[in-house]
Amino acid sequence: MRLRIAYTKIEDARYIAHLDLTRVFERAIRRAGIHMSYSEGFNPRPKISFGFALAVGTEGEREYVDVELQEEMDLGEVLARVQEQLPPGIRLLQGRALDQGAKSLMAVLNAASYRIRVPMALPIQAERLQEAVSGWLGREHVTYSRYSKKGPTDKDIRPWIKLLEAKIQGDEVIFDLEVEMGNSGSVRPEEVLASLRELENLPIELDGIQVIRTGVHVSYEGGKSSPIDTAG
Amino acid sequence: MSNNTAAEIRRQVERFLPKVLKPSRYIGSEWNVIKKDWDKTDVRMVFAFPDVYEVGMSHLGTRILYHLVNSYPEFLCERVFAPWIDMEKELREKEIPLYALESFQPLNKFDVVGFTLQYEMSYTNILNMLDMAGIPMRAEDRGPEDPWVIAGGPCAYNPEPLVGFIDFFLIGESEEQLPEVLHLVAEQKKNPVSRQDFLRKVAQVQGVYVPEFYHVTYKEDGRIEKIVAEEGVPALVEKAIVADLDQAFFPTNPVVPYLEIVHDRMMLEVMRGCSRGCRFCQAGMIYRPVRERSPETLLKQTEELVRATGYDQIALTSLSTGDYTCIQPVIHSIMEKHGAEGVGVSLPSLRVDSFDVDLAETVQKARKSGITFAPEAGSQRLRNVINKGVEEENLLQAAEAAFKKGWSTIKLYFMVGLPTETQEDIDGIIDLAKKVVNLGTKLGRRNITVTVSTSVFVPKSHTPFQWEPQEAGSSVELKQRYLREKLRDRRIKYSYHDVTTSYLEAVFAKGDRKLAPLLEWAVKHGCRFDGWSDQFRYDVWMEGLKELGIDPRFYANRAMDYDDILPWEHIGSGVSKRFLAEEHHRALQEAKTIDCRYEDCTGCGVCPSRGVQIELKG
Repeated sequence: MRLRIAYTKIEDARYIAHLDLTRVFERAIRRAGIHMSYSEGFNPRPKISFGFALAVGTEGEREYVDVELQEEMDLGEVLARVQEQLPPGIRLLQGRALDQGAKSLMAVLNAASYRIRVPMALPIQAERLQEAVSGWLGREHVTYSRYSKKGPTDKDIRPWIKLLEAKIQGDEVIFDLEVEMGNSGSVRPEEVLASLRELENLPIELDGIQVIRTGVHVSYEGGKSSPIDTAG
Repeated sequence: MSNNTAAEIRRQVERFLPKVLKPSRYIGSEWNVIKKDWDKTDVRMVFAFPDVYEVGMSHLGTRILYHLVNSYPEFLCERVFAPWIDMEKELREKEIPLYALESFQPLNKFDVVGFTLQYEMSYTNILNMLDMAGIPMRAEDRGPEDPWVIAGGPCAYNPEPLVGFIDFFLIGESEEQLPEVLHLVAEQKKNPVSRQDFLRKVAQVQGVYVPEFYHVTYKEDGRIEKIVAEEGVPALVEKAIVADLDQAFFPTNPVVPYLEIVHDRMMLEVMRGCSRGCRFCQAGMIYRPVRERSPETLLKQTEELVRATGYDQIALTSLSTGDYTCIQPVIHSIMEKHGAEGVGVSLPSLRVDSFDVDLAETVQKARKSGITFAPEAGSQRLRNVINKGVEEENLLQAAEAAFKKGWSTIKLYFMVGLPTETQEDIDGIIDLAKKVVNLGTKLGRRNITVTVSTSVFVPKSHTPFQWEPQEAGSSVELKQRYLREKLRDRRIKYSYHDVTTSYLEAVFAKGDRKLAPLLEWAVKHGCRFDGWSDQFRYDVWMEGLKELGIDPRFYANRAMDYDDILPWEHIGSGVSKRFLAEEHHRALQEAKTIDCRYEDCTGCGVCPSRGVQIELKG
């Protein structure tokens, strides 16, 4: 039985590295006394797979995992038993049995949305904020330099952006950002904001940035949906 | 320092935590973690492991004592590990004190900070952790508001280099001793008496060593003249010991980390102690006598561990698991009961014989990666000197069995610089490695690899070799170079331990109280994580020794006399000094000593002196 489960990764669970998440689910399912399916080969691994990695420290309000079990079970019972064995920040939100041959999360997911809160370094007027955002979105190309051990590499981040909106709340700016994701990479919310600050001279305090990934999606011409709804 | 409440520390740490390596080292909300109500407990202890989280969480003793203390409703026990360099930098820059993982309370709010001493090269981390917590390193600089800083573990058998920093040491097995100490701390909080009076009470607990009651005087040449205990404390502090291991506390709901740790599996302690009598081995002396747990207890514990952790592997741990008398029935029962849930068994310590190869074969689930044997020395003569009861024939049989069962990589572990070692013994290592390689080839195995690894012999206290010097580094290096040269073969890989680290390890293993200023100096000059080769700064240590006028050779490279007063003379493992001297003597005569488990008593002294006995279940 293949299952797709939506869950949160919030509070302390946001510090669990993506690579460690498989073990967290694997052990929770084993503690729940549910038998997982294993891969063939020399070193059998339980069949658990995720979508795009969530950066350590970023909360995810709706993430997804696929799990394969040895036997058919009642979905509600699986979710309830596994939930009992999970650390507090991981809450199971919804589940669905997958059809034979359903595509993997990595194969269907292609977009992510974020909510970003960032303190102002200097007071910003609403009008000024909207100007900055539309000015930035109006650019055909936005070059951003990523630094790695090999040195800086320039990358055009504009094509990845599907939506960027901003509003002021107290002395913070709240951004809603939606980006495309693919096997060839994506753009990080921090990069978008750093670019916005630099190119549009927007005085925001990047040190105090708080990012939440509100969801990951199956996006298509004119809309998006959850990988649970589209799974068939 | 800024506002140091737990909530404020947490708020500040969370701001930079995503930026440090492996943030889940520092967050403490793992499965099975115990978070008690701070205000509803009488005594609050923090168990401090002076190395990174992944190392500390792999240590069985840490797991046992954390859950043991928390099993008392009146006590609370939290954990802290040495923050890695990047985390230390953040904490220090932001003036955030070192905090305990469960509550984020700073260490100086606890009643007791308890360090475990697993290896000498972690000592600088102890002082550094105290400093990061804002707790004065020196006991004399601490006041009534500061925690008691205590320490236990194998290195506490020679605690002297840490005297001055630690208020008191717990020698031996702590399952019964530590709760007794904590009850005295509770009493002290309720009805406080002077520091002196409290320490005098604590000194009455079995195995508690309060160094300030022991006065050491020295001869002109630096050797110890005498160690005098004050009235009312034991002249010889004898280790605490758990008489009935089968009934002793053992946690079956250990904390399950998020990140991968060094030994990321369930641990089942099948027995304690080893009486094979290897003369270099401190563990083999200080954990006597051998006490086994019953198969019934172990199977019950396994069941509980699987339910509570969700791990898929269980390690049967002890100093030599192949010697556990019920090993086969226990392995078979575990596999029968839990194999279907994907739970496998691992055996961390194998003896050099084909029986253990069979055991390894039984538990091997998947690909046969490597199998390790430890002949320790290259020639039969030297193996007799160290009392490693292994014949070349045993090793070749074991290797043959391993090759036939499908292993293609065999690892051989040796020590270099053992007492009486000569060129012939070094050649013996080469000879053995080649014999094993040729055996594999003769058996028609392709792509075989024999990995030879050598460590440097470090003489340890409370062993028959405690009087022995460590061989000079320059000469050990020559031997390493020779081995590297002679083991050049595409089927053989050779690796060896760094000489300089082993040298300092020997200095502290055999050190005395006069080394305390050196530790302080090293920490002030940036030494920490000395057991990590990428962090170890030999040049800084050498500079410190020079500046303080301490000759490291006096400790590491000097042969001691039987009538020398040893720095650890007043600490007792139950094994008599006379027995150790006899064993040393027999070593020099290349005479073997039997294992008292299977034959006659060898007279080490632990059973009669402590009223305990060997406990076998098979």
